[in-house]
Amino acid sequence: MTSREMMHRSESAVSIELQTPDMTLNIGPQHPSTHGVLRLVAKVDGERIREVEPVIGYMHRGYEKLAEVRTYAQITALVNRIDWVSGFASEVPFILGVEKLMGVEAPERAQWIRLILSELARISSHLVFISSYPLELGATTPLMHSLREREYILELIEEVTGGRFHPNFNRVGGVKSAYGGGSTTKKQSMDLPAGFFKRTSEAMDRMDKICDDIDTLVTGNELIKMRTVGVGIIPPDKALEFGLSGPNLRASGVAYDLRKSDSYLTYDQVEFDVVSRPGGDCYDRYLVRLHEVRESVKIIRQAIDMIPSGPLQAKVPRVLKAPKGHVYSRAENPKGEFGYYIVSEGGKMPYRLKIRSTSFSNLTILPWILKGQLIPDLVAIMGSLDFVLGDVDR
Amino acid sequence: MTDTPEAAVDASETTELEMTAAETYAASLTERLGATGYSEEFDTVRVFVERDAWVETIVAASEELPFFSWLSAIDWSKTTEVGEGVDEPETLEERFEVICRLSSVENADGAIFVATVPKDDASIGSLTPHFGGAEWHEREAHEMFDIAFEGNKNLVPLYLPDDFIGHPLLKSYPLIAREVKPWPGDVDVEPMPDVASDSQDAEGSDT
Repeated sequence: MTSREMMHRSESAVSIELQTPDMTLNIGPQHPSTHGVLRLVAKVDGERIREVEPVIGYMHRGYEKLAEVRTYAQITALVNRIDWVSGFASEVPFILGVEKLMGVEAPERAQWIRLILSELARISSHLVFISSYPLELGATTPLMHSLREREYILELIEEVTGGRFHPNFNRVGGVKSAYGGGSTTKKQSMDLPAGFFKRTSEAMDRMDKICDDIDTLVTGNELIKMRTVGVGIIPPDKALEFGLSGPNLRASGVAYDLRKSDSYLTYDQVEFDVVSRPGGDCYDRYLVRLHEVRESVKIIRQAIDMIPSGPLQAKVPRVLKAPKGHVYSRAENPKGEFGYYIVSEGGKMPYRLKIRSTSFSNLTILPWILKGQLIPDLVAIMGSLDFVLGDVDR
Repeated sequence: MTDTPEAAVDASETTELEMTAAETYAASLTERLGATGYSEEFDTVRVFVERDAWVETIVAASEELPFFSWLSAIDWSKTTEVGEGVDEPETLEERFEVICRLSSVENADGAIFVATVPKDDASIGSLTPHFGGAEWHEREAHEMFDIAFEGNKNLVPLYLPDDFIGHPLLKSYPLIAREVKPWPGDVDVEPMPDVASDSQDAEGSDT
């Protein structure tokens, strides 16, 4: 018997005496714990949730339709707006898919730059989680610490790409010549800004420090543990059935990481561990993300040592036309598997672009996981799934 | 990422009998499931399934590919109100394709299952009894393409408002914003150069 079932059983003994009429409670769409505009219609019996119906679509922008009237180069600007907390990471699978279709491969240096920026995006996304999750549980201090450190990461991303949230930095066959880097003369190659690697190393030292700080502030915190250990347990079979991926899946004991299994970009050349935890509860989901920050720091340090010099852009035709074909391209976004299914009919624009956004699939488990939980646990469970509404609504 | 499309084409041209790893995998998976056919391009494996065998095949495939990744559909249409149409509209068979991807959680294996659904009878079995995660995907496909998923009891709109008329991802559905106001990018830019013109230099790119 799982602890969840035990909880149900002990509860049913109590509820015989304390029956109250079911009440419908609207949570959101404007609620701090919903990270945007998510509405939950919950049927509650006292503090106990009988069933919950998430209502989404308040921010549906129709990217799949819009992509049908945009060229491949223009779509890059759209896709980093899907999950804005890690904009760069959602560009990567799209551009890899287009490159696969067109038979172009980005030069090695560009691949390494993509890897470094993806990992910076991962750290920044996880720091948002690490700051906001304790806040949702009532601890305000970690927010200040980790959001301050995230600023250093965003500054690095801005330094290279020109944008803090929406880099729009990937090009078919490479990356954009960096903003503010090198010479402005067109004939000379523009590269990463001078001193970028030094500043990145310094920032990585800070990340190590903040992980230690968060460890002392949150990880061992008795109150946080009481709110999260054993709460919202997702068994591995349910996680797979609902399509949970990324840290949410790895916290349920399934050590599945696309960086290892697909080894896209240059992830096969760096050493890192896939963080997984067996428990499947909110606390494990938090721990997986915290440890992934340390792993990302490890990856970036290696990448700085290993990155070769060379061009940033492969030769591509002036007009980008993809041959007829189907390609599914995916990558490990900070939140999990992020994929694009591109159907090309040989034109400048895709015939159909299916976006497999991570948070959407991660959120499909909400009605199942919240059934029978207490209202105070709702915030703890929902927060632990780490979703972004732009990623849910697309 | 292992082989570029050129490499794949070259391999099939030079040694016709030798298949790429992805192709071998696609063939054996198709045989194991008793599906009607497969295709493999750009490392993307598609397995074609009869509409009536949709649910059984996917449930059987989930034994080895337990991760339910996503479900959606494609509208294959001769005419289109948006974007570029199909390459050869004369020979195209108008239909929907319902697509669902499952993948392994140990390696990069995975397959997209494809069932053809006629437009005049757009319905297919629902995966919700077997995959809890399918419900939202089916609701989305239902509102976007008007495909019925028999057995999904909750096919209410997911993204769209309740009183929304139309099915936006159909090719016959115009993009209203473009109808009202033409794309500003079309107005005052120089015409697109010929495809045949030279490749651009490495540093001259702004596309």
